[in-house]
Amino acid sequence: MKVLLVDDSGTMRTIQKRCLSKLGIENVTEAEDGVQALEIFQNSTFDIVLSDWNMPNMDGLELLKEIRQLNKEIPVIMITTEAERARVVTAIQAGVSDYLVKPFTPDSLKSKLERWVTSNA
Amino acid sequence: MTSTTTGKSELTAEFVNPIISSTISVFEMMLGCTPKRTGLSLKADHIPEHELSAVIGISGKAAGTLVLSLSKSVGIGILDRLVGISSDEINDEVCDAVCELANMIAGSAKAQLEHLEASISIPNIITGKGHTVHYPSNVVPICIAFDSEIGTFTIEAGFSDR
Repeated sequence: MKVLLVDDSGTMRTIQKRCLSKLGIENVTEAEDGVQALEIFQNSTFDIVLSDWNMPNMDGLELLKEIRQLNKEIPVIMITTEAERARVVTAIQAGVSDYLVKPFTPDSLKSKLERWVTSNA
Repeated sequence: MTSTTTGKSELTAEFVNPIISSTISVFEMMLGCTPKRTGLSLKADHIPEHELSAVIGISGKAAGTLVLSLSKSVGIGILDRLVGISSDEINDEVCDAVCELANMIAGSAKAQLEHLEASISIPNIITGKGHTVHYPSNVVPICIAFDSEIGTFTIEAGFSDR
């Protein structure tokens, strides 16, 4: 299981990496924004993408649209503070696979990731 | 002139309850502590209460600024509670953790005010005693004070309509 983890916050990447590690997932590639993530995505193969929305240079929505141009099947989960209905609908229309709103409890993050990690293992 | 100021104060007031509930929720979920609100006041100046500020700009039908203001020790406590990393100074990791917490508070508050169609900026950190923060002109910011297991902090905010 190869994970591309995209968040401009090192703190959030650490939290998510620890959660993935508890699920037995250690093969995690990190990116700090959409531009870096897209470049990595184009040059490697991943099983799942976890992405923030609000990031500098290229945000998560734009990254999602770029990824969907390249790959319509890969699960992309948005983990973001963008909780408004209109934002969620926009992300769904752009092809997001699942959505987790920050703040979250450790259990809610674990169960969200577990669902996708297990089904794609 | 008076009515304009009143209108802007009313818009700022609309944010008070969403900010309070978001702050409590974010601290509970992410840090495992429950802050208690200890005060609510109008600010006479634009100088945050503490030496470390995470500043977020808000745009949309409401424009303004939200500040998470805290001391060095509370910033260090946030990093420790979030990721279990100890620090004895304000470094990049502390700033990143504080920024992320402020981002969650602002995002959660704006989600409760969906009709304002607001967007939030990426947070910036300002440090140093006596620093100032910019708010829209003629806006009187509010200051919401909290106490928690990791110390006291404030959320300061001021908004105007567009």
